[in-house]
Amino acid sequence: MHKTIVASVTLAAAVFCTAPAWAIDDDTPHVQQSIDGYIRPAFAKFAEEAALLAPATNAVCQDTTQESKAEFSDRYRALVEAFGGVSFLRFGPLIDDHRLESLAFMPDPRGITQRQIRKMLAEQDASATNPAQLAEKSVALQGLTALQLIAFDKSGNVILGDPSDKRDYICGYAEAITLNVSRITSKISVEWQDPDGYSSRLLSPSPETGQIRSSKEAIETIFNALVTGLIVVKDQELLPAIGTEISKSKANRLPFTRSADGRAYLISELEGIHATLVAANFSPSLGKEFGWLLNSLDFEFNNGITSLKAINQPLRQSIKDDEIYNRLNLLVITVNSLRDTMALELAGALSLTGGFNALDGD
Amino acid sequence: MHWTATDRVEVSRRAFLTGLGGLTALTATGLSKGAMAEGLLNPAFLGTPLFASARREANGNYALAIIDDAGQDVARVPLPSRGHGMAVSPDKRRLMAFARRPGTFALLIDPFEQTKPKILTSIAGRHFYGHGCFSADGRLVYAVENDYEAVRGVIGVYDVSGREIRRLGEFETGGIGPHDLLLTDHGRTLVVANGGIQTHPEKPRQKLNIDTMAPSVAFINIETGDILVRHALTKDLHQLSLRHMAKDGQGQVWIGGQYEGDDGRTPPLVARMTLDDAPRLTEIPGTIGADLDGYIGSVVANASGDTIATSAPRGGKILFWSAATGDLIGTQDVIDGCGLAPIDDRAFLISDGTGGLSYLEDPTSRPDVLARPAGVAWDNHMFAL
Repeated sequence: MHKTIVASVTLAAAVFCTAPAWAIDDDTPHVQQSIDGYIRPAFAKFAEEAALLAPATNAVCQDTTQESKAEFSDRYRALVEAFGGVSFLRFGPLIDDHRLESLAFMPDPRGITQRQIRKMLAEQDASATNPAQLAEKSVALQGLTALQLIAFDKSGNVILGDPSDKRDYICGYAEAITLNVSRITSKISVEWQDPDGYSSRLLSPSPETGQIRSSKEAIETIFNALVTGLIVVKDQELLPAIGTEISKSKANRLPFTRSADGRAYLISELEGIHATLVAANFSPSLGKEFGWLLNSLDFEFNNGITSLKAINQPLRQSIKDDEIYNRLNLLVITVNSLRDTMALELAGALSLTGGFNALDGD
Repeated sequence: MHWTATDRVEVSRRAFLTGLGGLTALTATGLSKGAMAEGLLNPAFLGTPLFASARREANGNYALAIIDDAGQDVARVPLPSRGHGMAVSPDKRRLMAFARRPGTFALLIDPFEQTKPKILTSIAGRHFYGHGCFSADGRLVYAVENDYEAVRGVIGVYDVSGREIRRLGEFETGGIGPHDLLLTDHGRTLVVANGGIQTHPEKPRQKLNIDTMAPSVAFINIETGDILVRHALTKDLHQLSLRHMAKDGQGQVWIGGQYEGDDGRTPPLVARMTLDDAPRLTEIPGTIGADLDGYIGSVVANASGDTIATSAPRGGKILFWSAATGDLIGTQDVIDGCGLAPIDDRAFLISDGTGGLSYLEDPTSRPDVLARPAGVAWDNHMFAL
């Protein structure tokens, strides 16, 4: 099998040298539709939500009431959902300059963020309350995961603004985080909307220059990010949380469960991955014999999402409930199956390649 | 995918050195600080478990990264093309990173010293195979090389103790396509896996002798260059390219193979041997074996030497073996997982092509993702410093 791959690649490379990329492989429509149909709107939405969190944070700090806390909590959830809708798009503007890690530092099984925040709070380091200076600090301190730790208690209650000797400092830090997050998301969105920005590399790949040299490599960049997104959901989020048995489950290993947004985040990740796949509109490129693949994927995405939506309690408080634990276990199987169908079957049907080590080892 | 990465790259010394301007030391959370002021790594890191691996960066460039045991970058060195394996000095303070086959550069790095990396270029008519190892006293590096016109594997011997790297000489590996190598017998014997596959840099990734390939493992006296023994598998397994190795606590050499046959067989892929004992193949239960696609990536022992881990990136599995009995003691799933490094007596660090770095407490526990630097693809091998 390996030999075949090498031979076909050599052939493809030879053709690239003599003909423009579009003449022999044109995945550009899929790239264009992914960008227009999902990626650009999703990043625009992310930036819009981020811009709304700063005033809500300011409000809860100025006037700490049940209403202002509820508004902050709602805005935080909306932003987490918008983030889940883009966090799997791990290429281009989202990952430049450590932006993704700055927006949310995860996974963090060793509690690096907690440790750094504790140290910073003890020192009352004033630079953390200045958004520009915060942006120069450790990425773990800059984003939504840090904000979650200072703004919510373990039961999902908003504690931002509550009386304490560090109240004002924490409020200043929280506001700096929201402004920093808003700045980053806005930059990412602007860069994605810019027709001459990163999208042009995907839409006008060049065999001579740059990292993306054909429309096939462009669609592989997007497609492989979706596959990696599913791997993240399963291996990095669900499996550490459910552990090897119910007594060893740790809901805190699921992102954003402290703020009671773990379920919302998982749903938005799966919905986002699914929506990008739908937007790419692979159907016309699939032979008749593979038409079932997209239907099967739709069915499984919907199953997983519906199952999560049926959970009506925060996961931190409910993961040890048999029914919910089993639901998450089943979700692992569903996500694993989605990954296999996409990476092994759909990728094959579309002649896309992935797997850095698996593909071309040594 | 980035196919030119596998093309032969002629390294311009000047361009390379300019590239090294990008050499960076990093804080624990990924932000650069002034590099080289105090060496690539602060001596404070001497007490921290560190690991090194080649990788592809988000922008498509290649680099060598040094990470801590939380999976965070602590240093990064750009490479002109795709890296592969590296030699780590016995005192764990220096490393030499090799270009991936058929690359021609290697880079000697003293991360704790205020010195620039030293570049080694293979001599005319040769390229590196991606692996090397230090001598027991840390003065020499043995590098596997392809003498491609003569179609023979050689080991280049380099003195890395001085200001400049000097090539002292070479000896034959007794086969074609030498790949991994290690020292045994208190540093007196070099074990080399002759993968058996003939390649030529003009056809960078083509395999030219699959029908007649004859892999072997040679035990070589490092003083004389004499081949003490050359172990081969039975003839029906001549298409199992013997490639990566590790030594267990009992002195057995474990080897992982990559099957080049296209006869639909599911051959054994892992064997152990000593100087005196011919290879003994291990058994992979059928259901697991069929999923591995005939391919083992890395072979690594834990620090106590009682467990061997072998990665199978095409099957998305890591297999663990008892050094004492040769039995398969467990498997874990890591998609595109390939790099392995021992953390302590039991634990391993696992790297994968989707950027993940996972902690595995022991072969029966589940891999726990520590970090996943965005856009990064970890290359085949990882090393504990």
